[in-house]
Amino acid sequence: MLADIGLMALVVGFLLAVYATAVSAWGGWRNEWRWVESARSATLLAVPFLTVSVLVVTYSLYVMDFSLAYVVDVSSQSMSPFLRLTALWGGQSGSVLFWAWLMNGFVAAVLWRKWQRDHDLMPYFITVAMLTTAFFIGIVVFITNPFARLWHIPGTTELITAVFQPIGAVAYVPQDGNGLNPLLRHFGMIGHPPTTYLGFTGFVIPYAFAISALLSGRSRDDEWIRTSRRWTLVAWIFLSIGLILGGRWAYDVLGWGGFWGWDPVENAMLMPWLTGTAFLHSVMMTEKRGMLKVWSVALIILTYSLSLFGTFITRTGVISSVHSFSKSALGPVFFIFIGVTFLGSSWLLLKRLDTLKSEHELESLISRESAFVLQNVLFLAITFVVFLGTVFPLLSELFTGTKITVGPPYFQKATGPLFAALILLMGLAPLFAWRKQAVKRLGRAAMIPFGGSILWAIGWGYVHRMHPAAYLVLWLVAFVVLLIVFEFVKGVQARMKRGENPVTAFYHLMGRNRRRYGGYIIHLGVVMIGLGFIGDAYFQQETQMALARGESLTLGEYSLRFDNLEQYPGSDGREVLEATTSLFKNGEFVQTLNPRRDYFVVQQQPMTIPAVYATPAQDVYLLLVGWEEIGFGSSTFKMYLNPLISWTWMGGFVLILGTFIAAWPETQRQKKRSYVLKPDHLQPQPGLGGD
Amino acid sequence: MAEIVTKPVHDAEVLESDRPSRRFKWSTFITFGLVFGLLALLGWGLVQVNLGQVDSGMAPDFTITSFEGETITLSELRGQVVIINFWASWCPPCREEAAYLEATWRKYQDQGVVFIGVDYVDTEKEALAYMEEFDITYFNGPDLGTRISHDYRMDGVPETYYVAKNGELRGVKVGPLASPELDEKIEELLAEQYP
Repeated sequence: MLADIGLMALVVGFLLAVYATAVSAWGGWRNEWRWVESARSATLLAVPFLTVSVLVVTYSLYVMDFSLAYVVDVSSQSMSPFLRLTALWGGQSGSVLFWAWLMNGFVAAVLWRKWQRDHDLMPYFITVAMLTTAFFIGIVVFITNPFARLWHIPGTTELITAVFQPIGAVAYVPQDGNGLNPLLRHFGMIGHPPTTYLGFTGFVIPYAFAISALLSGRSRDDEWIRTSRRWTLVAWIFLSIGLILGGRWAYDVLGWGGFWGWDPVENAMLMPWLTGTAFLHSVMMTEKRGMLKVWSVALIILTYSLSLFGTFITRTGVISSVHSFSKSALGPVFFIFIGVTFLGSSWLLLKRLDTLKSEHELESLISRESAFVLQNVLFLAITFVVFLGTVFPLLSELFTGTKITVGPPYFQKATGPLFAALILLMGLAPLFAWRKQAVKRLGRAAMIPFGGSILWAIGWGYVHRMHPAAYLVLWLVAFVVLLIVFEFVKGVQARMKRGENPVTAFYHLMGRNRRRYGGYIIHLGVVMIGLGFIGDAYFQQETQMALARGESLTLGEYSLRFDNLEQYPGSDGREVLEATTSLFKNGEFVQTLNPRRDYFVVQQQPMTIPAVYATPAQDVYLLLVGWEEIGFGSSTFKMYLNPLISWTWMGGFVLILGTFIAAWPETQRQKKRSYVLKPDHLQPQPGLGGD
Repeated sequence: MAEIVTKPVHDAEVLESDRPSRRFKWSTFITFGLVFGLLALLGWGLVQVNLGQVDSGMAPDFTITSFEGETITLSELRGQVVIINFWASWCPPCREEAAYLEATWRKYQDQGVVFIGVDYVDTEKEALAYMEEFDITYFNGPDLGTRISHDYRMDGVPETYYVAKNGELRGVKVGPLASPELDEKIEELLAEQYP
């Protein structure tokens, strides 16, 4: 009964989305605003309907209504209520519904607030955004419906999944469900998937703005790009959080010793993040100097296309990945959709290229402007390298008949130098003046950070001299950190000259230039995240050893003693094998570590859960990889020393903090000071539309 | 990516009618070339994924060398029923069917039936330990370079392909075999006339 309500709400939501798409296109084309108004209402109205649908699925998962095939698939008696709720995005039907709901939410949020300002773009904006949303809702309705039931035709052994009763079939309601994939039964399930989805779906907003600007020919004006920037920032911060949480989850659950494995699904998230980041920089040039317009528009389109591309390759199994769903009709439909999106977007961009001409020329090779161009190029180069590595299995299969997967070494070697160049640029670029920078002055400004970093690198590199490149990367990190810190110091000093004390000077500095100093804090966060990657690439140590009870192994300054191994039935239908070990640092007891090997009996899936002892300098990461079956007399452990990894998680927090500082809406008083209002003739005319 | 235009633009309105150039544009050509290329690659990949296992027509021929060093070629086994089983030591469901496979082999080995175990992406030490564990005596060899599994478009282990006396494929079982389906299939294929 409840499921029927959910199904009806879903269908109504779909019809509203289709209606909004059609009438907004009509209204925009015929310039009849009542139709656009109507499209807006339909978009807003679709939200409560889809919400009902999402709530019904969630509730059905919670109460384990096994009459629904989706519930049977991802929920089970043994799962905790928390996991049953998160199962909404634990399988295909639920996650596509969740995706469509978020996307509709984003579009509605734009229409709710920004109706006046970007008035002229609205018809096409609604068309593009709601066409996309309708597509995803359509997939939920027609291809992977979470309200489908299981049916059984008497006399056969096969079960049919269908929304309506097939002829001659009787409903089949199992006693229990299969439950979530064991890898998803983790606390991280509450954070990583929803934030990632928010990031991916959020990019539809800047994309729809860009396409509507190109379609309507308003791409010559820059106003829309300001709105796009805000929404990109929203999507970008969610995607960043999703990436960090995903890395943390992999580190805690997958048990391969690291947090980033260059898996296709990780790359699928990284690529739009890279181009999105490039856009957020490029757009500053577009706003401030009217330059790099083609870049900015192309980067928005690319970011959105890459998030579709990533979803496509990982979910359809075209490139195998831990996240792929089983084969379904989703593939071909999705393929047509991305084909139309890619071709349509590139055609439109090329057609309107002349409206995106730069208002100024590049005056000097060393200037803020050229630094921005360079960072765009570097971001794109990294994206291309990641892209190539991701599709390489496909390319190799096409040309040689064998699927060859390129591993982390390729990605590390190929992107490493590019990332290093980008980080260096990140430190130096803020020193560059607009238009033209005198090299001499630049040298003077960077001298102290440069000298300091050389000393730092020599000292630090001497401690960790296992790899020659270590000196270089540690110098780089030190240099960039000092450059950023110096920017703050200079700002504070300038204010102190005016008689402010250091604390208020710092506070006012941040308050008056939030975008700038928030940006610097984000940069600091990026360097901190980079430290984790550097530790992983150059300084990771590992050892593996079989230990009898009471025996120890040593790695670096740590030693580990194996005390006990026991087996017990855990929650969630798992058999837990848990080792007790004692960790010593320089002979002194630090902590007990309990690495585990959980075996999910029904799914026949083992899961290696590491025990981690984390410090800012390094993590001790311990895995239980083998054991003596009889008597549990000995066990094999794999122990990693992962230097600097904690900095990655801290860097994540700093990055989020910086984004909030940079993006927090300015008060009216500050707004007046920081930018010029749009000229009168560009203001939307009163009386037309509006809420 | 289009290059940055470096000329200052003074009057935006002039551009509206500014030379509607009909000449061949490299940027257009390259952009669409790349987009079409990518779409073709994705489309092809999608088709490959959705093709499913080869389950009819002539069975793709292959030569495989066993762990003991014997060599066998499929096309030289005409007149016999061939059961090709893909497995790996790291695959839990393979363990479910291992005993049944071996028992069936022992039952039919003198009746013109050949079993070929193809070990997919495995290490020899673990594979031999697995074979010892289940006392597997039929022909088994590694799928070097995953050529055989590629030709059969195998999706995962375990999978079992049935080859008739005339070399044609008569179906595939995805997932572990359970008694008596293999017996039934073998009886059915043995009953076929050749030639």
